[in-house]
Amino acid sequence: MKDMKTFYTGLVALIVLGLIVVPFSVNVERSYLIYFLFMAFIYVVIAQGWNVVGGYAGQISLGQHAFFGLGAYTTAMFWVHGLLGTGADYYFNPLLMILSGIVPAIVAIIVGIPLLSRLRGDYFALGSLGLGEIIRVFFVKGGDITGAQDGLHLPSGGYESMLPYYFVGLLLAVLATVGVYFIMRSRIGMAFRAINEDEVSASSHGINILYYKILAFAVGAFFTGVAGSLYGIYIFHVNPDSVLNINYGLYPILMCVLGGSATIFGPVIGSFFMAGVFVIAEQHFPMIHPIISGALIVLVMRFMPTGIVGLKSRLQRD
Amino acid sequence: MENLLLEVNGIDVFYGDVQALANVSIQVEQGAIVALVGANGAGKSTLLKTIAGVKQPSRGDILFQNQPLCGRRAEQVANMGIVLVPEGRGLFANLTVLENLKLGAYPVKARAHLQESLNRAFELFPVLKERVSQKAGALSGGQQQMLAIARALMAMPDLLMLDEPSLGLSPLISKEIFELIHTLNERGTTILLVEQNVNQALKIAQNAYVMKTGSIEMQGSGLELLANPEVQEAYIGKRWSKT
Repeated sequence: MKDMKTFYTGLVALIVLGLIVVPFSVNVERSYLIYFLFMAFIYVVIAQGWNVVGGYAGQISLGQHAFFGLGAYTTAMFWVHGLLGTGADYYFNPLLMILSGIVPAIVAIIVGIPLLSRLRGDYFALGSLGLGEIIRVFFVKGGDITGAQDGLHLPSGGYESMLPYYFVGLLLAVLATVGVYFIMRSRIGMAFRAINEDEVSASSHGINILYYKILAFAVGAFFTGVAGSLYGIYIFHVNPDSVLNINYGLYPILMCVLGGSATIFGPVIGSFFMAGVFVIAEQHFPMIHPIISGALIVLVMRFMPTGIVGLKSRLQRD
Repeated sequence: MENLLLEVNGIDVFYGDVQALANVSIQVEQGAIVALVGANGAGKSTLLKTIAGVKQPSRGDILFQNQPLCGRRAEQVANMGIVLVPEGRGLFANLTVLENLKLGAYPVKARAHLQESLNRAFELFPVLKERVSQKAGALSGGQQQMLAIARALMAMPDLLMLDEPSLGLSPLISKEIFELIHTLNERGTTILLVEQNVNQALKIAQNAYVMKTGSIEMQGSGLELLANPEVQEAYIGKRWSKT
């Protein structure tokens, strides 16, 4: 048991070390690999966000794109309207990025109180889907403040290299995964899993169900919002179509389920795997790439219901 | 009367339009085993759920240690010292035995005693100690019931409510569970027990209530009811044995 733990810790450290070295062995500004890994890091963060609320706490949210967009828009609005003061440096400002996680978390709490106290299971899923649409309409109709349909253009003058994007992305992916690990080892994580298993039993053992559901929703929103902020700084043009795209609500689910939801490394594996599938499908089947992704989901659900991570224990059993 | 732990006074409970309980009153004294018996659909489980705060009564009130329970949510009731082991056990099947036990100690006042409660649970249920890192869902039926009771005890409840603890267990294991309930009671835990196994339940209960279609039909000491011809006819099955 202990040996396995040391082995996994070593393996993870080695992979992270490898990822740190990668940019020094390729041409960062031209390499497709860097872009691929950068997107995979963003996917890891949003997948871990969904993993908390959907995987561990069992509240199937279909509205994570609302938080992704809110994060990106928070960054853009603070930047464009100069809300951190005129002298501030907005480019990769840690305060701004954290704020871009806090705003979606607060929205998740406000919306979560009526949504999670009244709706369960499929109904909550549909309710959260509605949330995504409401937020999108809100930004489309937001006039000058949100830039309406055209969105907000960030000043791109500061851009010099892809390197900071790569490392900030890597840092966030590591922090999100370590964060999930520690949350799930704590009493909070145990409460999340208990609620997922049996709500009535959890509440009659003293667990405040609504509180923990909202907490899981807010933590997931925080992760997703920070990822949205990084993506916003990357694309420089934050608009409803780019950041409030429902893909950012569906991808994390796909990645979690594929890799193994309610596990620490499942979402990470799923994110890298799907990022790879997207790349290959886009190059070889540009028009039908969503069909390939869709077919993959069906195959995974049929043959690997516990995801890639679950394969190991299934193989050991056979 | 000064050592009355729980008092249910004339409660009505509805599922939508269907009335499940009508004017039900029961009393549980400190340190007693009180049994609720009756046929399917008599409202026994509903009564336990209502006391636990999972359901709310539309009329009447419930007092626990002289404090009103009505309007409190399930987790607040649990924090006050009432723990329900629901029908079907309500285990967290994908969590390990140890995690299930730790979750049992969730109520604030139980947290500080986690380690000593764990030791006591393992002393009462040595089989659970052997399986601490197994998933609860992988245990046998009897072991699952033991885990459910052990988990409830982790909360150090003032009142332990058991809903059909012998359901689905072999007669031998079922007998073990009843012996265990007796032991727990001797160590000072007050128990409110719902059982289909009327014979066994009445034997260990100091006090018992017979429920029928949502109301209390009879009450008395366990042995009194056991000797009552009406109870024998309806629940122990003399009349049916003739046909």
